[in-house]
Amino acid sequence: MTPWSLIPHLLTSGITIGAIYALVALGFVTIYRASQIINFAQGEFVMLGGIITFFFLRGGGIPYPLAALLAVILVIIIGLLLQVLVVYPLRKASVLIPLMATLGASIFLSNTSGLIFGTLPKVLPPFSGERPLEIGGIPIAPQSLWVLGATFLLLITLYILSHRMLLGKAMEASSTDPLGAELVGISRNLMVLVAFGVSAGVGALAGIFITPIFYTSYNSGTLLGLKGFVAAVLGGWGKNGGAVLGGFTLGIVESMSVAFIPSGYKDAVAFVILLLILYIRPKGILGSPFIDSRRW
Amino acid sequence: MKGFRRHTIMVLSLSIILLLLWTYPISSAEKAPYKIGVNLGLTGPYAEVCKTLKMAMVMEVERINARGGVNGHPLELVIEDNGFDLGRAAANMTKFARDKEILVVVGPFEDNFQATTRAIAERDGIINIIFCPSNPMVRALKQRWSFNIAQSDILVSQKLVDLCLARGYKKVLVFPGNWPLAQSLAEYLKRFGEEKGIKVIISKETHKPGDIDMTPQLIKLKPTIEAEKVDALYASTGGPAGPIICKNMRTLGITIPVLGTHAFGFGFYIKLGGEAMEGVEFPAGKPVVPYQLDKDDTVRPMIIAFDQRMKARYKVGADQLSGHSYDVIWLLHNALERCKGKVTRAKLRDALENTKEFKGCTGVYNYSSTDHDGLSKKDLVFIRIQGQRFVRVKFPKFE
Repeated sequence: MTPWSLIPHLLTSGITIGAIYALVALGFVTIYRASQIINFAQGEFVMLGGIITFFFLRGGGIPYPLAALLAVILVIIIGLLLQVLVVYPLRKASVLIPLMATLGASIFLSNTSGLIFGTLPKVLPPFSGERPLEIGGIPIAPQSLWVLGATFLLLITLYILSHRMLLGKAMEASSTDPLGAELVGISRNLMVLVAFGVSAGVGALAGIFITPIFYTSYNSGTLLGLKGFVAAVLGGWGKNGGAVLGGFTLGIVESMSVAFIPSGYKDAVAFVILLLILYIRPKGILGSPFIDSRRW
Repeated sequence: MKGFRRHTIMVLSLSIILLLLWTYPISSAEKAPYKIGVNLGLTGPYAEVCKTLKMAMVMEVERINARGGVNGHPLELVIEDNGFDLGRAAANMTKFARDKEILVVVGPFEDNFQATTRAIAERDGIINIIFCPSNPMVRALKQRWSFNIAQSDILVSQKLVDLCLARGYKKVLVFPGNWPLAQSLAEYLKRFGEEKGIKVIISKETHKPGDIDMTPQLIKLKPTIEAEKVDALYASTGGPAGPIICKNMRTLGITIPVLGTHAFGFGFYIKLGGEAMEGVEFPAGKPVVPYQLDKDDTVRPMIIAFDQRMKARYKVGADQLSGHSYDVIWLLHNALERCKGKVTRAKLRDALENTKEFKGCTGVYNYSSTDHDGLSKKDLVFIRIQGQRFVRVKFPKFE
């Protein structure tokens, strides 16, 4: 049995986990494009989405779709509060300070979630059964297809938002030239607020879609957040397409690496890839509008 | 300014009176309490599990005190949270050891902290009762101050070999976690299994406690399972990794039976794993199935009475962990009663070491100066997950 024969199986597993990295990366990029802030609480939105849905479903006895909707709304409110209470008061500080503040917020959110909802991992029922589908002899969990579908829908929505709608353009304008944007009547603070709302919503949705496959516990946001960040940098920092490409690349490479090296190194692979990319192509795969590689 | 000063004096005197009132009943108690330090991760990943341990201990201590304590001395728990942090666990342990009133420290719960607290116990001469099973490394140290309350890896592996023999499994593939207890469970299964003619293959692929997806490892194992015609896969693990392995296996279409460790005997395992957990079999402590034990089982009355008390007070039934809490408190009660004269740490240690035929929830404890694990293979039962609940299974030649 050569490692190559495992590839198709590993590929499907990598695509699923890649979709999740992609969604987290999208959240990072959305906020960065609007505010030039790296929000390290992004992984926490994913965790909260899954856990709050679980709480409504199990504790409140609310039907699944409604519980999911309520959770998304609640996480969006948490995202907005994060901007109002943490990021907005620090708007005049240098970039590093809001970054540290979001890191603090991430620790706060995960521990609060542990205190309120308990620390044992939670799982949601799959949307459409547990029986794996056979596609070309490779078993695939139906939930993986849901995750893929959701990723593509969210990607299209975000694309329309940022390229086809005035709101998205205003968001980008306020980021690239804050003064100019203010002069033409775009409220920068409002744009940042909207960006936090959008990325919290994307994160929460990702959380709801993945909790049936990967259990969500109060501290699972941290690693997801880091991997999402790596994915966003890998694909091209600041580009939606880059985030998605980076997410899938990371997921697939991570999964494939298992065929050739012991699985204990799986998590390290992500960071080794990031280092290699930064040495060779600091702008990421698709290139980044924010990183000037000439400096290297 | 004058009014402020009068106000301050009033507040001060009031608080002094309150303080006096508060300490009054303690100083008037007939005999000083026996203090038990509790060192648990009440926050952090195992917070819920440790809260269960704490709840059960509080309940049993209150029960003992309501009956008049031990020879008139009440028991008192001094609870400290270690936040799943090795540094804090060690600091708590040292603090308890320095406090001359504390006779014994209960906890930690986590395997990776036990080596440290054991070392402190040995250095400072204080009893340390640890919830997790001992591992070969700490057993080799032959320490005199630390006791383990759970079934050791040796017992669990021997019982598992019995399970394989009863089921007729000839070849077992082990997928172990990368932490010491999971590794030693795998090694012992290999050693004891091969004595009985069972081929045990330990996979080179391991998993970490925090892995959320085992699919890549299992994909790599799948060809081995098919080529070697393995009869069963043994998930030598604990925590959420167990249900994740089962779920990922079933998604990949691997249908061979799954064997588990005694860490599988918790309700949340079934909730997490859902249908994928159906048919999983493992050896576990008796509190997992209080009402399915034999009518003449010596520990059955204890477990059932304890289960009913837990349900009445906390609305949750007994499980292996709360069973361990019961055992700790009553083992100490039993040992304290046997101490003659003024109780010191050394006297209590000797009394604990002389525990013979003590019937707890988990089983019958027999400690000695060479055996600080206490239990025997008879204290384990076979459990199968069936219809989303734990069902005891019995085999003709094996209990």
